[in-house]
Amino acid sequence: MPGLNEFLILSAVLFCLSIAGIFLNRKNLLIILMCIELMLLSVNTNFIAFSYFNADIAGQVFVFFILTVAAAETAIGLAILVVLFRGKNTINVEDFDTLKG
Amino acid sequence: MIKITFYLFALILIFAASRVITVKNPVHAALFLVLAFFSSAAIWLLLQAEFLAIALILVYVGAVMVLFLFVLMMLDINVNSLREGFVRHFPIAAFVGAVILLEIILVIGAWHKLPTPEAATALAAVPNTQALGMVLYTEYVYPFEIAAAILLVAMIAAIALTMRPHTRAKYQKPEEQVSVRREDRIKIVKMPSETKD
Amino acid sequence: MEIATLNLNMLGLLPEIVLLTMACLILVIDAYLPKHQRYLTYQLTQGTLIGTALLIFASFPEQRVLAMNDMFISDPMGAVLKLFIVLMVFFAFIYSREYLRDRNILKGEYFVLGLFAVLGMMIMVSAHSLLTVYLGLELLSLSLYTMIAMHHKSQTASEAAMKYFVLGAIASGMLLYGMSMLYGVTGTLDLTRLAQTINQIANDHTVSVAILEKISEIKNDNIAVIAIGQQITENAGGATAAIAQILSENTDNTAAIAAIKPIIDQTMQSYTILLFGLVFVIIGVAFKLGAVPFHVWIPDVYQGAPTAVTLFIASAPKIAAFAMLMRLLVDGLQGLQVDWQNILILLSILSMATGNIIAIAQTNIKRMLAYSTIAHVGYLMLGVLTGTQEGYAASMFYVVVYALMTLGAFGMIILLSRAGFEADQLDDFKGLNERNSWYAALMLIVMLSMAGMPPMIGFWAKWSVLAQVIDAGFIWLAIVAVMFAIIGAFYYLRIIKLMYFEKAEDKTPIEANIDMRIALSANALIILLLGIMPQTLMVVCLGALGVS
Repeated sequence: MPGLNEFLILSAVLFCLSIAGIFLNRKNLLIILMCIELMLLSVNTNFIAFSYFNADIAGQVFVFFILTVAAAETAIGLAILVVLFRGKNTINVEDFDTLKG
Repeated sequence: MIKITFYLFALILIFAASRVITVKNPVHAALFLVLAFFSSAAIWLLLQAEFLAIALILVYVGAVMVLFLFVLMMLDINVNSLREGFVRHFPIAAFVGAVILLEIILVIGAWHKLPTPEAATALAAVPNTQALGMVLYTEYVYPFEIAAAILLVAMIAAIALTMRPHTRAKYQKPEEQVSVRREDRIKIVKMPSETKD
Repeated sequence: MEIATLNLNMLGLLPEIVLLTMACLILVIDAYLPKHQRYLTYQLTQGTLIGTALLIFASFPEQRVLAMNDMFISDPMGAVLKLFIVLMVFFAFIYSREYLRDRNILKGEYFVLGLFAVLGMMIMVSAHSLLTVYLGLELLSLSLYTMIAMHHKSQTASEAAMKYFVLGAIASGMLLYGMSMLYGVTGTLDLTRLAQTINQIANDHTVSVAILEKISEIKNDNIAVIAIGQQITENAGGATAAIAQILSENTDNTAAIAAIKPIIDQTMQSYTILLFGLVFVIIGVAFKLGAVPFHVWIPDVYQGAPTAVTLFIASAPKIAAFAMLMRLLVDGLQGLQVDWQNILILLSILSMATGNIIAIAQTNIKRMLAYSTIAHVGYLMLGVLTGTQEGYAASMFYVVVYALMTLGAFGMIILLSRAGFEADQLDDFKGLNERNSWYAALMLIVMLSMAGMPPMIGFWAKWSVLAQVIDAGFIWLAIVAVMFAIIGAFYYLRIIKLMYFEKAEDKTPIEANIDMRIALSANALIILLLGIMPQTLMVVCLGALGVS
């Protein structure tokens, strides 16, 4: 069985990939939403690993709720995206320059 | 054996995640994200979180990713304009990612811990789904209710945001078509005859 | 597997339960109301808020009571904060009704989402578990994102919603990552048990550091090592006890050191990981508060959102964010106070500097108030970072006062706006005194208070946090804070100058409903009255934190 640190490093790699992804795809909102999913996936892996190594079910329950909330969050995020697209016909972040100051 | 399985799925997961953030086409990104979810689920299985592993596949691959693809198809996005600046941002993104990763590994990399024998048996004593179900509706009933409220808010939000006003929708009303009278459609106007100048 | 005995104690949650039930009912009722009776939705919403406030008041707890299997806490601080949250939202809805109607976004869902946001804030305020902090926060945030985006016609509104959403989701991710680390080290989500374990680890850490120092000093002195063992047995527990045990059994120096080494390493590592988690948690909270450098969303969202929603976001959720700061850092991570104090000092100075200086350059008043918010958040954190009950009370005083003032300022912007016109430029306030001297006087009170001038309540708010900072021995920090307050006074006074010493360009008479006029006047007069009698509110805040 791999040790706790191996699971934690795996999730750390995922976490950093998601942050790098947000930097990298600053223009594409859909990919940013996917990066947020990846970030939550990494957090979930953390919780499940701790839950296993501490022999405590609470971590898994937390993941259960994160999954629920993340699904709701994605639904709202995509809804806002659709509203935005209808107004402007683009999801390119750099076309959103009405707010500057 | 378990170690080999872990490394296999971990490699697939990292590969898929790095493809999600680098591929050109958002559809491909979504498909790689599906692959990432699948390999994560496999890793969760190794950690004896069977219920969550299955839920991840059912809820995420089955519903959330389909939603993503649906929106992708509906919006008809110009892919090329979204890729501008990718090469320019790449060094910064890689640098930031690498620095954060290095810091995290320095902190947690040495956190060796092996599951104690009694711990492993304690979790395995009850089927995972049953164990979750036992606490979910008793100890965690309060967060459970809050989660219900959050889902309700998501429903209200999705409807309030994307439902278009009815005025633009065009549909037939058969009863009006049938009961139409000649007077509604044709109007005979009396006009004096015009003379050419 | 046996089911543990549950401590549900649902009576303590009565306000929350009533609010949730009413929100669901209003949602259904609104769907079946004919168009001309839609005003009922608004009245029901306001009625619900009044009912909730009365219930909170009636069930005011004398001391800390846990409920819902220890995931819910009702204590005086929570009850006071909840009362103010409900009150602020009540005022916010009065101000926003006409504004929303003029822009064709007066929908039932708006008020229902507002009620759900209030529920989310109340859950955050009463959270006693990492899980409920997170869920309350999400319930609040998801409602807010939607309320902003509901203004379909406005491109800036959907843009603001998207920015808020993306940054908010990233911040939640950070917060969760931090929470996962805290859970990993302590093995619990419950804030009381988390605090106990963290205190233990912090204590062990201090002992370990002391021992490591001694070891490097004493080298080959056998008696000294045993002496350490005798010293630390007094407040022993956890790793400290184990170390004392080993030291008392060993007489040989090298063997003893070798035996305690792994325990010390373990303690050091747990402590480092706790700090690591703490940093991520603070990032999450700082984002929600809008502290620099996690403030980028505030100006864009404040400017882009419809003013009615800006008013909502700027007032009550800040009280909830303060509660979240208190629950996480004070209730949960008190053991790491030395460490979070330093981070908060840094965030606070950066916020005061950035907020006050950039606000001067703004021409859009919503954006200016956004930067002013950032500065206020800096002052708000001053009280918390002292780590004393009096300091927390001062911060609580500050956040309530801040919410009141923001409500007044954005209320004035709504008052000056009308169908097809947004009074969001500074120039729109030119010559307000000519147009209507009563409204100009109200705005004068609000602006003076925000600038921190006596005799307004804003002065006492600044004064109380500064007094606490000086008490805690950070005189230099107080001087820095005063300096930025003086810089900040400039842009508030500029508005006063515009109102009283410039000619009005826009002579349109200012019209508003009677309830709006009464509420706005009351809002400004409360600021003035409390400024004359600041003890009344201060006593409430001190009492809420158990300081007599």
